[in-house]
Amino acid sequence: MILQNIWHRPIRTVVCVLAVGIEVGMVMLVVGLTHGMLHDSATRVEGVGADIMVQPPNSSYFLGLTSAPMPVAIANRLQQLPHVRAVTPVLFQFESAHGLSLIWGIDMKTWNQVTGGFVYREGGPFQGPYDVLVDDWYARAEKIKVGDPVNLLNHVFKVSGIVMHGKGGRLFIPLTTADNLAEQEDRASAFFIKCTDPGYTQAVIQSAETLLPKYTVRSVQEYMSMMTSNDIPAMTDFNAVLIAVAVIIGFLIIFLSMYTTVTERTREVGILKSLGASKGYIMEVVLKEAWLLSALGVVTGYLIAWLGRKVMVTVFPTLTVELTVQWALIAGVLALAGALLGALYPALRAARLDPIEALAYE
Amino acid sequence: MRITALQIAPTEAASELAMEPIILTDSLEKVYRVGKVKVPALRGVTLTIDQGEFVAVVGPSGCGKSTLLHILGGLTRPTAGRVLVDGNDFCCMKDAEMTRFRRDKIGFVFQRYNLLPTLSARQNIALAQEIAGNGFNPHRFERVTKLLGIEGKLNSRPFALSGGEQQRVAIARAVICEPKLLLADEPTGNLDSENSQVVLSMLRQLNEELRQSVVMITHNPEAAAFADRIVRMRDGRIVSN
Ligand SMILES: Nc1ncnc2c1ncn2[C@@H]1O[C@H](COP(=O)(O)OP(=O)(O)O)[C@@H](O)[C@H]1O
Ligand SMILES: [Mg+2]
Repeated sequence: MILQNIWHRPIRTVVCVLAVGIEVGMVMLVVGLTHGMLHDSATRVEGVGADIMVQPPNSSYFLGLTSAPMPVAIANRLQQLPHVRAVTPVLFQFESAHGLSLIWGIDMKTWNQVTGGFVYREGGPFQGPYDVLVDDWYARAEKIKVGDPVNLLNHVFKVSGIVMHGKGGRLFIPLTTADNLAEQEDRASAFFIKCTDPGYTQAVIQSAETLLPKYTVRSVQEYMSMMTSNDIPAMTDFNAVLIAVAVIIGFLIIFLSMYTTVTERTREVGILKSLGASKGYIMEVVLKEAWLLSALGVVTGYLIAWLGRKVMVTVFPTLTVELTVQWALIAGVLALAGALLGALYPALRAARLDPIEALAYE
Repeated sequence: MRITALQIAPTEAASELAMEPIILTDSLEKVYRVGKVKVPALRGVTLTIDQGEFVAVVGPSGCGKSTLLHILGGLTRPTAGRVLVDGNDFCCMKDAEMTRFRRDKIGFVFQRYNLLPTLSARQNIALAQEIAGNGFNPHRFERVTKLLGIEGKLNSRPFALSGGEQQRVAIARAVICEPKLLLADEPTGNLDSENSQVVLSMLRQLNEELRQSVVMITHNPEAAAFADRIVRMRDGRIVSN
């Protein structure tokens, strides 16, 4: 009977299934995208090869969101600490023209000391202040060759080289240029420290913290484990809001659909009651129908997420979308729970109908 | 609930008697409240119907026939008075018990057939068995569908059946679980005379061959003639019995 009911109103069924599908697909894609992008950028931060990161007080995990940058001169003082091999300052700038990309303003000389230098696929290092290095992924995605002009931060840059991906950002410009464009002088959003031996990391962190109290000093390893874990504080809030919105929409759709269905089938509920169907039986019929609708929706959602990922990474090759079984399960369970909750009131209403009034219903 | 002084044998004792009446009502009253207006639908109905009887209830529209049937079938409760159906005293039963009573003891047939439109004839009949929870009984199914002449129509949905066929499917659904009592509210009200004759002779046949107790409401004197006994009602009272 539940199957027949579902086929009886095909448009309603399709709309419901699609709505739940979009709910599930959206949760999976957005969570997958944020996690993917974070993991991806965290992996590239690790690829810098530094042991320690120093950021201004109260700075965010999101590199670009760092507020007041620090004086570059701090690098010299960090450099004096024991067991420090090299320190390099970086100024982060957001460029929102082609999607959202984070531009790394780097000081080539110390950068090379910390990272061991870029691997150039084509071209070479900066030759002028308005030169930019891009990684091979970005170059492929944007179809960029050496010598091409690129518009960044309201300025035309020339591509001086294409470097192998995995070391820091995807776009690099000289630190001084980045400072100029940010209208500030000799400032950095972060320092990357390379120790003489990774074994000295903790010791250097301690002396750096003494030197720069209130600053955020942490090992790259710690940063990595924070960024790749699934409970980054800021992320959890963002995801929670997103998931709540999606689940509420799914809940409302199922609620509305089952509510109108029960109203439309008032007479049929009366018939079931005249046959001696209990309240539990009638609730079960309504809840099972909602459950089946949302289960179909969840499967559709998985398809939407899978297709959406394909489309997104084809259209924007620099995006990373991580679809995980864990989040597929979370999104699925939430959608089913939301649907059952949404169907609960309609089911109760149906179960409580007066049989005589229901049978007289036109 | 007020119970009148009439002596009714206790349930246990009554069930030992071979010919305990299937229906016993005493001073049954029902008042509907529509807003602040009280509509008295039954004003003291006292009625006894024996097991295996086929009784027709006749009377003008609005005299309370349907109300009486709904009370006998446990779809609603009387405002006052006492009802015993197959030894079950309604006044002492909770809603869930009334539902179970309806499921196990009562078969309803309505003027408007009331088949589920999305299900085939077979599924409509099987649904009653599913709700009763005693599983599919192929022997009973075959016997009932054959008796009602609907074996060839079982895979059709209601909209593909004539009124007479739909009503026969509805009767099959009502009796498939062997109810003690079949309650029919103007079962031929929507049928032409030819189909009415078929449906009525089937009710008669069920009554004779399966000893099915039947209470049938009708407007039509010809239909009433199929019954063993005719109960006449007027203004919520029985005027002849
Ligand atoms: N659900 C109801 N609410 C209010 N009044 C009702 C209801 N059902 C029936 N009545 C009233 O009760 C009286 C008896 O109705 P009914 O039992 O349907 O009579 P019949 O079946 O003999 O035509 C009528 O006056 C009708 O208007
Ligand atoms: Mg009536």
